[in-house]
Amino acid sequence: MKKPIFIISIIFSIIVVLTIVRVGVENNVSTTGVELVKLEESLSSYRKANAILKERYLKEASLIEVSKKASSSGFVDAKSHVYLTEPLPIALGR
Amino acid sequence: MNWRYRFILSGFIFLFVLVLARLFYWQVVRADELSVIARNQYERRISLDALRGEIKTSDNFPIAANKLTYLLFANPKQIKDTQKIAEKISSVLEADSASISAVLELDKFWVSIQNDLNHDQKEKISSMNIPGIGFEEQSSRFYPEASMAAKLLGFVGKGENGESKGYFGLEGYYDRQLKGKGAEAVVIHDALGKPILSKLDKNNKIDGRTLVLHTDRTIQFLLDEAIKDGVKKYGAKSAMAAVMDPKTGGILAMSSFPNFDPSNYAEYSDLFYKNPFISDTYEPGSTFKPLIMSSALDAGLVKADTKCSICSGPVSIGGYEIKTWNDKYYAGSSMTDVIMHSDNTGMVFAGQKLGLDKMVGYLQKFGIGETTGIDLQGEVGENLRPRDNWYPIDVATASFGQGITVTPIQLLTAFSAIANEGKRMEPHVVAKIITADAEEIKIKPKVLSRPISDRAAKVITEMMVNAVDNGEAKFAKPEGYRIAGKTGTAQIPVAGHYDPTKTIASFIGFAPADDPKFLMLVIFDRPTSSIYGAETAAPVFFSVAQKILTYYGITPTN
Repeated sequence: MKKPIFIISIIFSIIVVLTIVRVGVENNVSTTGVELVKLEESLSSYRKANAILKERYLKEASLIEVSKKASSSGFVDAKSHVYLTEPLPIALGR
Repeated sequence: MNWRYRFILSGFIFLFVLVLARLFYWQVVRADELSVIARNQYERRISLDALRGEIKTSDNFPIAANKLTYLLFANPKQIKDTQKIAEKISSVLEADSASISAVLELDKFWVSIQNDLNHDQKEKISSMNIPGIGFEEQSSRFYPEASMAAKLLGFVGKGENGESKGYFGLEGYYDRQLKGKGAEAVVIHDALGKPILSKLDKNNKIDGRTLVLHTDRTIQFLLDEAIKDGVKKYGAKSAMAAVMDPKTGGILAMSSFPNFDPSNYAEYSDLFYKNPFISDTYEPGSTFKPLIMSSALDAGLVKADTKCSICSGPVSIGGYEIKTWNDKYYAGSSMTDVIMHSDNTGMVFAGQKLGLDKMVGYLQKFGIGETTGIDLQGEVGENLRPRDNWYPIDVATASFGQGITVTPIQLLTAFSAIANEGKRMEPHVVAKIITADAEEIKIKPKVLSRPISDRAAKVITEMMVNAVDNGEAKFAKPEGYRIAGKTGTAQIPVAGHYDPTKTIASFIGFAPADDPKFLMLVIFDRPTSSIYGAETAAPVFFSVAQKILTYYGITPTN
């Protein structure tokens, strides 16, 4: 009679302990949703800022924009060229 | 006592069976329905759109990218003073306030006011704190270089179901690779709507692949400017040009004018979308002569110093009289002189030496009459007429590039054989594809055919260098460089005859002749200041060639 009561007591204790642990963990996890939202909002705002800056950079770095700025700054096409090096003989070129 | 005990026990057993049956009903029979209801309470599905892949030039600069835009929407039920709000919004959007007001007065819970708002516009409207107004993030296609290489790129429009879809050019040809694959993800929320930390399965989303081109942004810019200026200067109806690396088939630049802006493609007629360099056919005229001459050289039927026996005057064939372009005749001229003078009668001599069978055979090896396989949407290829449909006059006229049609890309690809030791290369715009996982897939150069030998290619190259140095276009050539080239002035067939006043003026060539770094074809359609290729296409060719040689740091040899 004592042995079955002992086994039942052990099982009952395990159930109680596991229930308490489960409640504790779920309680902790449930509030991380708020932090998750904040992290996702930060990530989203950095991504947007990145996209906006990238668009501005590409526009400024485009050859069409550079050419307009060069023209307005007084740059012109070169009419002649000066070559400082001589070409290799054809036999050595390939 | 016994019967009471049994009665109560039966009662308990009966109640137990009832509970079991009810549990079976809720947990098995209604299980699917209840789990759907439960999931709807705590699960939310979010759509993860795949980002369209970028298209980059050889210096890794994106000429087709994505930008963040916004859709402005409203809930008309929450808008009180539609007139006042429409005026506020229209001042930011620079749109008609009456049309915005009309949309806000609709009897709906959700209306779209405008697409493609930029960030500044969104912030301005947001700061007005108008109740019932909201924004939805979108990703729109964006071309930083505006209309540069527009016909090479194509554009992104909408498909049948409203999804983004590429049309023409690279956007059309590589649409499946560029668009990627969107997915849905499930997020678990608590009763207050806050997400519970759990794994967000994003594995099914695949962003589009990035294309890295052979196209050189600098050369493309130079070519675009030259073509645009040339159309105005020579009063041409239109113009087109392309530059290729003859050793790999890589397209370094491709341009045509008139052009369009792919960011605002809807504002242009759809006639502008087509890339004429791959989609239009024309009779190439004298630029075709080196192909025929190199075929005759390769077949051993003529040599560079072979004398023409029919060049003393016009040649009669099948009731037609074939003359030179300037009605000047050089009796006993060599094949080198025939190319230099662009002598039609000399080319008839070479064509007759080849004969129909050999000529058609060589043209097929040069790829005339079939598509090149370039990776752009919209290429056409007109078949060569069957051998039975060729008459002696057709062999004669084909030898100087009339009575035969090609696309410019076919001619450029055929010439790559002359510039590349006899090997004809498959033209390609894309050099490599980069997957979303940063894996690189290189597209290797492909030899399509070997129409002529290395020796024949060298001989015809020297003939073309001589033509540039001593022919009609010599005044425009940059000093000190060995450039191989040929002018073309092709009459346009109109209603069964050739119009003598309207021509397609062209020039094709490569440089440096001994180790070609680029091959270029320039075409002007119906120039009015002069009808000749030597006076229109050739100067533009040489101007761009000089800039490319300087850009590549290639010093003059003489």
